[in-house]
Amino acid sequence: MNSRNYISVFFSDEEPLLQAVRKLLASNETILDVRSPFPVHGLDKLLSIKRSRIPVGGFIFGALGATLAFSFMAWVFTVSYPLIIGGKPYFAAPSFIPITFECTVLFAGISMVAAMLIRSRLKPDIRFVPVDEKITDDLFVVLIDSANGKTTLEKIRSALSDIQTVEIR
Amino acid sequence: MTMDEQFNFTNKYRNILIVMMAGGVFVSLCTILVFKTGASRIWANVLLNNQLFLGISLGAAFFIAVHRVSLSGWHTILQRLPDAMTTFLPVAFVLMLLIYFGMGNIYHWSNYEGHDAVMEIKKAWLNVPFFFIRMIFYFAGWISLTWLMRRSSIKLISSSDIKFHNRRKILAGFFLVFYGITVTSSSWDWIMSLDAEWDSTIFGWYVFIGMFVTSLTVIIMLTWFLKRAGYLKYLRADHVQDLGILLFSFSIFWTYLWFAQYLLIWYSHIPQETIYFIRRLEGFKPFFFINLVVNFVIPFLGLIRISSKRNLNWVALIALIVLIGHWLDYWLMIMPAAAGDKAGIGLVEVFMTIAYAGMFIFVLFRSLARYPLQIKNDPYLEESLNYES
Repeated sequence: MNSRNYISVFFSDEEPLLQAVRKLLASNETILDVRSPFPVHGLDKLLSIKRSRIPVGGFIFGALGATLAFSFMAWVFTVSYPLIIGGKPYFAAPSFIPITFECTVLFAGISMVAAMLIRSRLKPDIRFVPVDEKITDDLFVVLIDSANGKTTLEKIRSALSDIQTVEIR
Repeated sequence: MTMDEQFNFTNKYRNILIVMMAGGVFVSLCTILVFKTGASRIWANVLLNNQLFLGISLGAAFFIAVHRVSLSGWHTILQRLPDAMTTFLPVAFVLMLLIYFGMGNIYHWSNYEGHDAVMEIKKAWLNVPFFFIRMIFYFAGWISLTWLMRRSSIKLISSSDIKFHNRRKILAGFFLVFYGITVTSSSWDWIMSLDAEWDSTIFGWYVFIGMFVTSLTVIIMLTWFLKRAGYLKYLRADHVQDLGILLFSFSIFWTYLWFAQYLLIWYSHIPQETIYFIRRLEGFKPFFFINLVVNFVIPFLGLIRISSKRNLNWVALIALIVLIGHWLDYWLMIMPAAAGDKAGIGLVEVFMTIAYAGMFIFVLFRSLARYPLQIKNDPYLEESLNYES
């Protein structure tokens, strides 16, 4: 048991989880990670996790998609294969807009998903060993750094004695 | 924590607003007399400002109703602002009735003598008596429903009976249905019929979203003003962010509808339909494109970052620009059709709008100052105070 360098605290609800995180941070414990079955409101602020930069990527790729789609259509209809459609001029900008819009959404969407996968190193053959099976269902867990045994189970137990926990181990 | 802060409509504000009203009326009268402005342009201006400020108060009622129905809580600390904005509706009714005296100058269907097949059919809807019957019907519904909603809200200041909350929620549902239908048909009556031969099925939606965006800009600027004047202590960046998100997304939606209307008319190229855009592109081309830049590009790029949505000063600045942009949007809808070659943007337009704005803010401040800014027993107040975006 002591070979492990973390202590896990299990909760059945988000409210006690948030209380416990506040308390642990106040007593200067290092929280390695929090795992929860769904996003918990306000947790990212408590753990001072920086905002993701994914929206920036989305904007850049969206802009790229818009430019590519529009310029491709403009090139096709004026240089590569000019056609008169419905009596409109070759460069019929309004009719390019819907496709430009679709390409913007497509590029932004796919790039954001790809960025998320790359950034969190998710790939098809990855193996995830959960601390407990139930954290994928209805259990919340906080992993605390045991600081080479300095933070003991007893210390955490007494610190969280007035908060409703499922298990501390 | 006290919930009793109340807006003080001081004599200073009162005087500034009276100067705005009197000065605006005086300067526009002088301009009309000196430059001999045509009757059609004057009446088109009256209609434009009626429509703008009516839209602001109706959009505010929609804002309140849609949040009530969706059981949302974040707006609760701001709810008295749009509530107070709806008190302008009776004034707007009187101003709208004035249009009777200018009917012949701007609505050319009202004295139409020809035998055009389309106009013959449209006569069933577009005739002067029915026009005013409909107007009275719309306003009766809007004024009574917003009055009832406001009254139940005010009751919650002194009483903690949940029935008042339930009542205003049901009223909000009724309002949304009534408003959804009447806003469409009123936009046909008052704006679309200026180009009487022309029609567009998406026009009602387009006007409706314009209304909602203008009233959002006014809610944002009013929030900014009250915060600067030391009120709204509970307002945090989280609430501002939501206002910013609404302005951002509904500006995009406005553009979507603008383009949906333009693309279909441009593509099908039927003379009866293209006349609308030809009238606006011949002679008013710069305004036509400025309209798109101001109402789409500026809020889109200006509010896309989360940090910019959380900065009240910045959001209020964008809101001011968008409000001016929507004034121009109404101008493009109304002026080229109503005033024809005599249309333009000059002193009359500017000062008439200033006079109307003075009147609108006067009514708004008066009703805002009557009760505390917070509704103490609102069941959603706690949620709003602790709201995190």
